Formats: sequence, structure tokens, C-alpha cells
Amino acid sequence: MRRFLSRLANLFRSRTAERELAREIQSHLAMLQEEFERRGSSPEQAKQAARRAYGGVEQAKELHREARSFIWIEHLIKDVRFGARSLLRTPGFTLVAVTALAVGIGADTAIFSVVSSVLLRPLAYKDPDRLVTLLHHGTGPVATANYIDWRDQCRSFEAMGAADYWSPNLTNAHPSDSNPTEHLYGLKVTRNLLPLLGVEPLLGRLFVPGEDQVGSDHEVILSYRLWLRRFNRDTNLLGKSVTLDGEPYTVVGVMPPSFHFAPFWATHAELWVPDAFGDSIHDRGGNHLRVFARLKAGVTLAQARAEVATITSRLEKQYPATNRWVSVTPLKENVVGKIERPLLLLLGAVGFVLLIACANVAHMLLARTSDRRKEIAVRTAMGAGRPRMIAQFLTENLLLAAIGAFMGLLLALAGTKTLVALSPEYIPHVETLAIDHYVLLFLLAVTVLTALVFGLAPAMHAAAGNLSDALKEGSRGDSDGIRRNRLRSFLVASEFALAFVLLIGAGLMIRSFFVLQSVDPGFNPHNVLSMVVSVAGTTEAEPNRRAIFYRHLLQKVRTLPGVNSAGAINHLPLAGDMWDRAFEIEGRPKPRPGEGPDAVYRIVMPGYFQTMQLPLRRGRAITDGDDARAPGVVVINERAAREYWPGEDPVGKRIAIDEEKSSQPTWLTVTGVVANAKQMDWASAPYPEIYIAALQTPAFLGEGGTKLAVHMTYITLVVRGDGNPADLASAVKQTVWSFDRNLAISEVSTMERVIAEANAQPRFEMLLLGLFGAVALLLAAVGIYGVMSYSVSRRTREIGIRIALGANRADVLRMVGLQAIGQALAGMAAGVAGAVLVSKLMARMLYGVQPTDPATFAGVAVVLGLATLLAAFVPARRATRIEPMTALRNE
Amino acid sequence: MPSESADRIAVLQGTLDLIVLRTVQTMGPLHAYAIAMRLQQLSNDLLRLNQGTLYPALVRLEQQGHIKGAWGKTDSNREAKFYSITRAGEKALAEETLRWRRMSGLVDKLISEGA
Repeated sequence: MRRFLSRLANLFRSRTAERELAREIQSHLAMLQEEFERRGSSPEQAKQAARRAYGGVEQAKELHREARSFIWIEHLIKDVRFGARSLLRTPGFTLVAVTALAVGIGADTAIFSVVSSVLLRPLAYKDPDRLVTLLHHGTGPVATANYIDWRDQCRSFEAMGAADYWSPNLTNAHPSDSNPTEHLYGLKVTRNLLPLLGVEPLLGRLFVPGEDQVGSDHEVILSYRLWLRRFNRDTNLLGKSVTLDGEPYTVVGVMPPSFHFAPFWATHAELWVPDAFGDSIHDRGGNHLRVFARLKAGVTLAQARAEVATITSRLEKQYPATNRWVSVTPLKENVVGKIERPLLLLLGAVGFVLLIACANVAHMLLARTSDRRKEIAVRTAMGAGRPRMIAQFLTENLLLAAIGAFMGLLLALAGTKTLVALSPEYIPHVETLAIDHYVLLFLLAVTVLTALVFGLAPAMHAAAGNLSDALKEGSRGDSDGIRRNRLRSFLVASEFALAFVLLIGAGLMIRSFFVLQSVDPGFNPHNVLSMVVSVAGTTEAEPNRRAIFYRHLLQKVRTLPGVNSAGAINHLPLAGDMWDRAFEIEGRPKPRPGEGPDAVYRIVMPGYFQTMQLPLRRGRAITDGDDARAPGVVVINERAAREYWPGEDPVGKRIAIDEEKSSQPTWLTVTGVVANAKQMDWASAPYPEIYIAALQTPAFLGEGGTKLAVHMTYITLVVRGDGNPADLASAVKQTVWSFDRNLAISEVSTMERVIAEANAQPRFEMLLLGLFGAVALLLAAVGIYGVMSYSVSRRTREIGIRIALGANRADVLRMVGLQAIGQALAGMAAGVAGAVLVSKLMARMLYGVQPTDPATFAGVAVVLGLATLLAAFVPARRATRIEPMTALRNE
Repeated sequence: MPSESADRIAVLQGTLDLIVLRTVQTMGPLHAYAIAMRLQQLSNDLLRLNQGTLYPALVRLEQQGHIKGAWGKTDSNREAKFYSITRAGEKALAEETLRWRRMSGLVDKLISEGA
């Protein structure tokens, strides 16, 4: 301890200590000299002998300094100064090295910031790791009665709540608010759902007991964003009422800005109201609830799963065909499950880019140390030990890495902004992305590691140089050690290996993306505009008026200039929800519950198939004539025809899809078969699908007052025009509002954009991997260029002699080229092995492409080979231009 | 005095501090040169020692508080830094000597009896 303090003190009085030491050594030498003189040596001889006996004065001083103080700190300060000077002396080298490092470190930091906010901290709830979901197959909704059974019977959970999707119209939000009616996204939640998340409201309160009962369920909690956007952050809003779907709701709370719920579905929800289940508490067939629960302390996921499995299998015996495939999934998995692997792969990819950059800098440093051997030798002679020299080089490298890291951080700041802008909506939580302390810690670690990786080998080499050799050798250029050459070749080869793996990844993504792009959606997405029109809360929502309104609206839109056709559907393919229902086929035995045929069903208005150009394979489409007075008809897709009427013509057959259990089924005749259209997502094979005529389903249109009335409170209008469909948007909107200014319009989009969004994730992955692949290729090419030109400049004399002895230009070109190709081939061989492994990991991200796609592998090999030739060509040509006389004279 | 004898041995790592401390204890205040001379004399020149290497040992001991340095004059009226042992140094010397004896005894035993 005492020694520690004294060393620490010496750090600040190094000059005094140094003077005293010099004095002491001086007196010591003088006494030695006297002794020698007494023995009869001449003063000059005695002085020499004294020095010999004493040993190296500078070395002794250095040892003394080490013992005296925390010499490394003193050294560090000196080294940093020295390093900065030496980097400034070679601005070209510094610029290239810093750029390579900045790109590598910047890309790493940007991707890590995504990983950090999305994967490491995806859920801004209390103890998010204890939160789970109970869903069909881990993702699908469940029925109310089943949820109630689980809630009442499970002992593994502290609390269990449920949410249902709800998209009301908000009218006259605020006195100061002149915006038109807005179609909002929200959730109906059980009273205990928000409390179980453990987030306190910013203002007001969460729901209290009694607020989830029918008749007293008209309270609402707003998101911060909605409060800001429509209510101007009015703190007096609590207790006041707002109009949702034409009914008054009392505002009881506002959530904090960071609160988002639900995190994996209905992610746009901006308001929450209590869910009074009403009649649906007995419903075991209509699946629309998402169930969330918090594990009790001490209960493991496996225990909870076992309990839920026991309970659901018991319930299944009691209520056949219900409670199947219920799985308990950690909420985090629901949120990040789909993107975890792609993001980690991207992180791996940028890691590769950084490694390649390191390899580049490493062999630039190697070349540099060769040029600095004299300096190193002189410093060694002056008493710098080997560790000391390594420390000096590492400091210089660390300084280089630090500058690179700083530039990289700037790049990352810009990069993350671009990432957020580019990133498809599927990346949860991306809005919270920031360069925070986690990211900075990562940056620090990466910087130090980088400096070690690219700097250690060159530093060891530099310090290992033989003192007298270096001094004697002077500036003779062709004496590079074999070991150093081997290291350099190894570096180039590993760059190629890494670049190869990265390019395979990028290549596979690009191929897969093009396969995806060429997939036929079934319909023609060009020139089609779509928008959601909601009647909720307006007079058009009244029973008996919806059908008339929708029909008139379509008629009026069709007359607009530039419009060729118009139709409507409840849920747009690829964008909207997907409903699934069992049905019955006339003349076949009534199936047991849960075992009959089922299909996706969509509700369409006349003109839909024509507008989407969804080809009719057989029969006819649904027309204006198919109204409430005409016999009921449906159109099915080809998949349904093949699945349920194999070898038969389904046209003319009758089916029933009654929701309520009635003794008398309502038979609907299949009038047509259309092509398979894409449904929920782009890459999945189509399910059987049934299109129901909207005008023939009065229940959906609010007539008869059944709960099905909510189904058609909105429709998605599709309009086909001649030119750019976006140009039609304002005319169509005006047409809608010409009926009623309170009608809400949302999700105005073109079908092309809908498809682009459905492909956003693969596009995003392809873009980033492609970008990193290109950077890797560039860095690898720069690497081989650097090594080749260095090697040519070192071998000038040798090549000169060869030419003088009769080697012709072609021989020289071949010799130099072969060296480059040899290194590239060695790297690629290693790269193939790595790429096979990595591409296996990517298998799930690929569509229509094998992970070991030979075309991709061959293509990448060719591209890398060409890059090698290109990079090696310039130095090789320089080699052929060497004039023997000049080369030899140079020595 | 320095000689060119071929059989000289290097100072065993870590023992130099002990040797210096003991020298200062028996001889009273000494400067670095005198310590070096004394060591060479005692070891019959068997100890190979660049005299400069004494300095780190001296500064270590001084920082540990085992010796204390003070400037003074030599017999030949030359100024030099004289090191003398402190009370803490005496204590440390006793402990270290004991430890060394045990250690060397053990090594000796192992070598001579062939384990």
C-alpha cells in the first residue's frame, strides 16, 4: 500500500526523481572509475571499464523508472503523443486505416444498437421475462369461454388477462380539434390486463373493478401519442368524454410515452377500453382474444406449460374440438421470434466486415513496421525493452482504433437513423433505438478488441526484429522475412474467406428476394388504389343503411374520371386480417365439431374480382344482381375447389357457413372459382378461401342486430385507374366525404405498396446483407491490392534481375498474378467451408433457394475472382514496367 | 573487482532485495557502489551483476519503507546517497531470511536425496 502511494506520488514528480537518479548514477560511475584508475588504468580506459561494469545506463534508468512509479502511465502519455505524431507523419496510411476501421466499427455499432434495443430489451414492462402469452399455435387468438376457464383454473399465474382488437372512429375529439373523423386502432382489454404489465399511467388511473361490466364499460385510456396528437396534451381531459363510434367514453387515464401494447400484434393500438364480454362468455368457437399472463414467482415456464396442457386436455374432453394446440410462449418470443435470427446474422455479418477491415489494417501496419525497422532498432538500443516496444505499438494502434471508433460512431449515428427509416414495421421497438450506454460500452469493447486484433501480430513482429541486422541492413528493401510474408498471405487469405462467406449470405438473400419478387400474387397489383372507409359512429352505420351506402359509394367512385373499376372487400389480401371458419357441404354427412371443412372467408362487394384482376377460372363472379333478394352465392378459390371437390366441378354445389347453430342451414351456391390470391403473408401457400357476397349477408351489415354487425362497420375500397393510382386518392376521398363528412378514411395505399410492405422484411435483410457484402468485397480488394503493390515494390530488384536475365513481361505478369490468385484461392477454399455452415443457419430466411445454391456459390467465386484479378492487375503491370537498370541502380 | 570469470551466476529472481537488505543491515549505511562492491567481494566474484540493476531493488526497498536513503559524503569527499535499514526493514529481513532458509533447505533436500 505504502509502495503504491509512493509510486503514485512519483508519477507527479518524475522530473525530480529523474534528476536524483542521474545524480546517484553519476556518483556511482565516478567511484567505479576511480577504482579502475587506482588499479592503473588510464582515465579513458577507466571510464570505459566503469561503464561496462555498471551495465547499460539507459537500461538501468528504465528499470529504475519501472520500479519507481507506475511507469506505464508515464509511458502511455508519451506513447500517445508519439503515436499521434507518427500517425500524422503518414497521413495517407492513417486516412485509409481510419476509414476502414470507421466503416467496420460504425456498421457494427449501428447493428448492435438495433440488437440492443430490439433483442436485449424489447419489452418496456415490469419483469418482462415473467410475461407469457396463451395462444393457439403460439400466435393465434382464442375463444372467450376458453380464456375464462384457463383464468379460473390455472394456478401458475399471478394474473391472466385478454385483449381484443377494436378499431373505432373518433369524432370531435376536442374543441380545438378540427380534424376529420379518424379511424383509430385500439384494444378492448380485460380489467386486469394493464395492471399485470406493471406500467403506471402518466395521468389518471387504470381500469377499476366494475368497469368491465356491460353498461359500465365506456371508459377509455389513451396513449401518449394520441393524447398529444388529438387532445393537445390537455391535462383537464380526465373525466371528460370523447366520442368513439358515436358513443361517449370517459377518459380515465393517459399512458406514458414509452408504453406500447400489444407488442407483437395490433402494435398501432392507441387507446384501450374495457372488454365487457357480454354474451361471448359462452363462445368456444369464435377465436378473437389474445391472452397474456404473468408467471407467479418461483413457477417456471415448463411448470406453467405442464399445467396448461393438463387443463386444456381436460377441457377438450369436456368440449370437443376446443382447447387444442394452446401453447404458452414467453412474450419476448412472440415479439422478437421472427427477427431474432436475421438480426443476429446481420450482427455476424458486420462482425465479418470489421474483421476484414482489421486484416486490412494489420497488413498495412506490417508494411509500415518494415519501413520503421531502423527507428525501432534505434529505440531498442536506447534502452526500450521488448514489452515496452510492444506497448508503444499497441498504444499507437489503440489510438488508430480510437479515431476509427469515433468516426465509426458518427457513421453509426447516421446509420441508425437510416436504419429506423428503412426498417419495416416488423421490427418491434425500433422507435426506441438509440446510441445509449449499452451501445457505447459495446463500442469501447469493440475498439479495444479491434486494436488488439489488427495490432498485436504486427507489433510483436516489429519488436522481435534483430537489432544489429536492422541497423546494418539500412534501407535495403528485399529482405523481408519469410515469416512476415507468411503472415501477410494469411491475412489476405482470411480476408477472402470472410468476404466469401459474407457474399454468399448476401447472394442467397438477393436470390431469395428475386424469387419472392417473381411470385404471382394471383391478382394484378398495378394501378390499384385501396383505402379503408369506416361508417362506425355515423348515420351510415345504421341498420339498413350500410348496404345502400356502400353500393352508392361504389357506383359514384366508378364514374370518377380515370377510374376503370371499383370494388370492395372487408380485409385486403396481405394487409388486413384473415378470418377462418368451418362450413358444411350440402349432401355430405354432417361433420363432427372441429373436423369439417374450413376456409378463410372474405366478404366482397361486386366489382372486387374485376378491379383486382383476380382471374375467374370457372363460372361467374359476384355481381350487383346478387343482392338480398337473390339466392345466396359464394365464389371460392382454386385451392378450395381442389381440396373439397377433387375431380368435381364445384360450380352449382351448395355450402352453409352459418355462424349461429340453426336447425335450418342457409345454403349458398358456388357460382365461380377464382385464382388463388395471396392471403396473410407473401411466402405462404394459399389456404382454401371463400368469398361471400356482402349484399347478401344482412347480418354483417347490421340488420337484425346480431353481434356480427361489427363485421362490416368498415370496408376496404379498391379502385383501378389508368395511371398512377395515388393520383386518384383525393378524388376518391372527396367522393366518400360527399356522402358524410364524418366518415373515417384510413390506410390509403396502393396495392403495389401493400405488396412491398409484405416483403419489407426480406427486402430489409437483403439490402443490409447486400451492403455489407459490397463493403466486404471492396475491403478485400483493397487488401489484395495493398499486399500486391507492397510485394511488387519490395521485389523490384528481384524482378529487375529476372528481366535483365531474360524473363519477358508475360512471365513477370504471370508470376505476380499467380501469387495473388494463390492467396485468393486459399481464402476461398476456407470461405466455402464457412459459407456452407453459415448458409445452413440462414435456411429459414430463404425462399425458393437452397442454402447451398450452386449458382450463388459459383457467382460469388467468380465475382471475388474478378475482384482479385482487378486488384492484382495494377501492381502486376507496374512490375512488368520495371526497368532492370533503374531497379538495380536503386540499391 | 569485476573480472571475466566464466562461471558467474545470475542473481536468482527475487533474491536481490533480500541480499541488498542484509548487506545494508550488517554494514550500516552504504551507497549503491559500496553495496555492489560488497556483494562482489562476498561472492568471490561469482555473482554476475550489472551494477545498474541494483537501482530498481533499492527503489523498491525504499518505497516499501525497508531502507531509507539520505545524501551524504564518502571518505573521498564525494557526494552519494547512503541507504540504511529501517525498523520495518529489520522485521522484513527476519521474515524473509526465515522463508529463504526453509525454501533453500527444501530445495537442497530435494536435490540431494533425489526426492
